[in-house]
Amino acid sequence: MRPFALSYARPAVKSSAATPYTYDATRQLNVLPDGRPATSSRAVLLATGTTASTAGSKTHFDD
Amino acid sequence: MTVLVLTCEEDLTADMVVSTLHDLGVPLVRLDPADLPGSIALSADYTGDGFHGYLKTGERVVSLGSLRSVWVRRPGTPGTRAEERSTWLTAEAEQALYGMLTSTRARWMNHPAAAAQARYKPWQLHIAQRSGFTVPATLITTFPSVARQFAATHRDLVVKSVSGKHPGDPPMVLPTTRISPDADFSAVAAGPTLLQQHVSKQADIRLTCVDGHLFAARKEADPDEVDSRFTENSSWKPAEVPDRVRRSVAAYMTSTQLAYGAFDFAEDRDGTWWFLECNQGGQFGFIQLDTDQPIAQAIAAWLAADPLTCHSWPAV
Repeated sequence: MRPFALSYARPAVKSSAATPYTYDATRQLNVLPDGRPATSSRAVLLATGTTASTAGSKTHFDD
Repeated sequence: MTVLVLTCEEDLTADMVVSTLHDLGVPLVRLDPADLPGSIALSADYTGDGFHGYLKTGERVVSLGSLRSVWVRRPGTPGTRAEERSTWLTAEAEQALYGMLTSTRARWMNHPAAAAQARYKPWQLHIAQRSGFTVPATLITTFPSVARQFAATHRDLVVKSVSGKHPGDPPMVLPTTRISPDADFSAVAAGPTLLQQHVSKQADIRLTCVDGHLFAARKEADPDEVDSRFTENSSWKPAEVPDRVRRSVAAYMTSTQLAYGAFDFAEDRDGTWWFLECNQGGQFGFIQLDTDQPIAQAIAAWLAADPLTCHSWPAV
């Protein structure tokens, strides 16, 4: 028998946003192609959704 | 002294804090435990009456005795990027790393023992009641008959995950969902089920607590969706924290020994904040983006503080 709660599960929506940043081990943070910290771009933060409480990747979900 | 940040590389939210620590000139080492063994190496000796150890990641080496604080953000599981992965290797790596780190004098946000306990949602409800929060009637059961009785009593209900986790295979999400009191509850026997009185809310509240500093944000409720994580109908705005809630948060954080917690409340039409949960590792970046509340800065300041600084709660 399927657990009761699973009757209310929905398919996860996979985030299609690309991550336009890479990790810089020297600076210990992610940077944009022009070298600026990724967090300096509000647009990047919003577009990638990595700070939100829900979405699709391991950095999205609340713990 | 050094701040140790345990998180994955792609964690932009951690970057918000790392940038602030850079601005403050605070030495830090950031690493992902998933890289142990591999690009992370460690050693510790317990000889004589002392304990000495160090961690190495890339070209950085940090003495365990020089750690002022440890921030557990989104760490990977130790051993999971090793060439020969196994459950045994993960256990070995986890025991070595966290065993060594918890032997230090460093302050934790949050300590692994406190974090593990705080993840239990039934325990959260218990501590919330004891702390004076208003808590919706809740049932966790595997008895269909008890579920039916609870539904008959409270009528307007939601179901949510006990663990807070989403089903993984295939990838699914399990939002908090309103259910009919006349639902067929027989499948409750197939797994512990959490039913809760539905709070008719006018807004969602996310209150982020960094030690004694509270950052509350409010978002208008979406009439068509119970779970605010799945709505984008409006943005978060700063909110005032009622004194009663402030006192309850202080009691909760003291009971749980957490340095950081993200509380979710439902605000009803009378303005009462109903406790839903406290996520010891809850996200805060989305709140800071909407409200400009300096949460990352508060975390950085806490991490940068003297190791012997005690938790401090302002008088309320």
